[in-house]
Amino acid sequence: MKKNVGFIIACSVLALLTAIGIGTWIYQISGGLGVTGMNNSVSWGLYTSMFMLFVGLSAGGLIVASAASIFGISKYKKVALPAVILSTVCIVAATGFVLVDLGGVARVFNLFVSPQWNSPLIWDVFVILLYLIINIVYLVLMSRSEKNERSLKVISGIALPIAILVHSITAWIFGLEIAKEGWYSSLMAPLFVVSAIDSGLALLLIVLSVLNKLKIFEVEKKLMASLAGLLATVIAIDAFLIFCELLTLGYPGGSGAELLSVMLTGQTSFLFWGEVFCLVVPFLILVFSVNRERTGLVVASSALVVVGVFFKRLWLLLTSFVIFNTAGAPGVTIGNSNIAEQTWLMQGMYMPTIVEIVIAIGIISLAALLYLILANRLLQTREHDIGLAATPSVAV
Amino acid sequence: MTKYGMVINLNRCIGCKTCVVACKMQNNVPMDMLWNRVINAGARSYDDAVGSYPNLIKQYTPVACQHCENPPCQAVCPVGATHTDEFGRVLIDYDVCIGCRICMAACPYNARVFNWSEPVRVPDFDYGQKEVAVRPVGVVEKCTLCAERTSEGKDPMCVSACPSRARTYGDLDDPESAISLLIRDAKPEHLLPEKGTSPKIYYIT
Repeated sequence: MKKNVGFIIACSVLALLTAIGIGTWIYQISGGLGVTGMNNSVSWGLYTSMFMLFVGLSAGGLIVASAASIFGISKYKKVALPAVILSTVCIVAATGFVLVDLGGVARVFNLFVSPQWNSPLIWDVFVILLYLIINIVYLVLMSRSEKNERSLKVISGIALPIAILVHSITAWIFGLEIAKEGWYSSLMAPLFVVSAIDSGLALLLIVLSVLNKLKIFEVEKKLMASLAGLLATVIAIDAFLIFCELLTLGYPGGSGAELLSVMLTGQTSFLFWGEVFCLVVPFLILVFSVNRERTGLVVASSALVVVGVFFKRLWLLLTSFVIFNTAGAPGVTIGNSNIAEQTWLMQGMYMPTIVEIVIAIGIISLAALLYLILANRLLQTREHDIGLAATPSVAV
Repeated sequence: MTKYGMVINLNRCIGCKTCVVACKMQNNVPMDMLWNRVINAGARSYDDAVGSYPNLIKQYTPVACQHCENPPCQAVCPVGATHTDEFGRVLIDYDVCIGCRICMAACPYNARVFNWSEPVRVPDFDYGQKEVAVRPVGVVEKCTLCAERTSEGKDPMCVSACPSRARTYGDLDDPESAISLLIRDAKPEHLLPEKGTSPKIYYIT
């Protein structure tokens, strides 16, 4: 019965935060995006970074789960259900971050009325919809009491390429824009996919340990250790790709080197070095198999990885806005007079406002709430069906 | 076919910003944003010279939408709000724009501005030509090559207002037009040619 109380309190707090977030969003809609820190110089900010992050968190978990099913890695199959629930709620959150970022959310139906198929954003809209549907079908198939292994294999065979595609297309929103040095790179899609796998896997490890603690879902230590080993490998690949990208950016000198200096020593340097710290430390911890056996260390490392990838989303997005291509005094007009007295900006400037942060917390709370509810329903019944639950009293 | 374009002679530009104000007035552009701005490339502040004494230069560059032949903003617009009309003008349909701002990220010239909040105008009413659409909150706007004037056969307001006659406007598809002759004669350049956008705005430097 103790767990019931904790569960209800957690749900209530998350529901409250969600409600505050929705209220703040209504406030934002009523006055326009001027209540955010975004302006004409930096026209995308926290919302877009969070969108990238959550698409990644979603794709990462699903890539691991569906790969397990396709390649018959039976030890990972056990976490497939919590992983797919995670991927579903994360893609819902990602969609939320797109909606709150729109200036004309009332005209959002134009995406379906007059889609313009050249736009990577329209590719993303449709692939995310497809991805959401596949996630739900996957969930339904997996939470059936009598699982059909064949249909599961088919759906995971569809889910894996779509999960990779969903994050590649998100990368192409940035990677295909020739205007922005630092974005325009063919490495953007692989970089995003790898970041998706490491952050998604890290979040999955955190969620699994929380579910274990709440006694909703039982996870063996050995499985956690094995996933943590995979995480360490993916972190290394992520770091390698970032290094390749930055070397290519900076080596020829000129404007690329100028941009790199913004990242290494300039405005976005704390985000970049923050990410380096948040990837190097977990790697150094998880590379030793003794550490992977200790759940506390695994969870702490995973948390660092999620934060690190969040930092990466921010520096990747913001750095390319700092220097204008057609630079010159007095710069560009700010457009959003709420954030500064001046009309002109010589360089891109952005700082998220309280409104943005509250709305972001609201969306994350909604995702967490959705996860708790779904996990509680689907994971519990599953345990009953296969007779793992020790006592029926754990059910809510 | 008709394809409108403009040549700006930077050797004639004196940085007076008359075109900036004329554009703002004509198009009802609210406070804190401009469709057309004048910059000193490489300078630390406006009107500052570049170089070291005595080898100083001072050059003014008016920058607005370049009405690209290959507009990156139009390619990425998810709803087709940004389009090129039959006269080669890159325009925005404000009723269609959903305010996602991917076009602002895609434009290499920072030519696009967004209506972040309820527009503030001084004086407190709409000004400019009455046919110019009033933009709602949450849409992107930019230079239209004064679509309302050029459709009537007039020059854009920045061209008419320029006191030093630095701007030449006309039909790029007509080989005998003043602008075509000027382009053949003076071999003007594009801004950021390396981006491959092929603007219809040219600069004589």
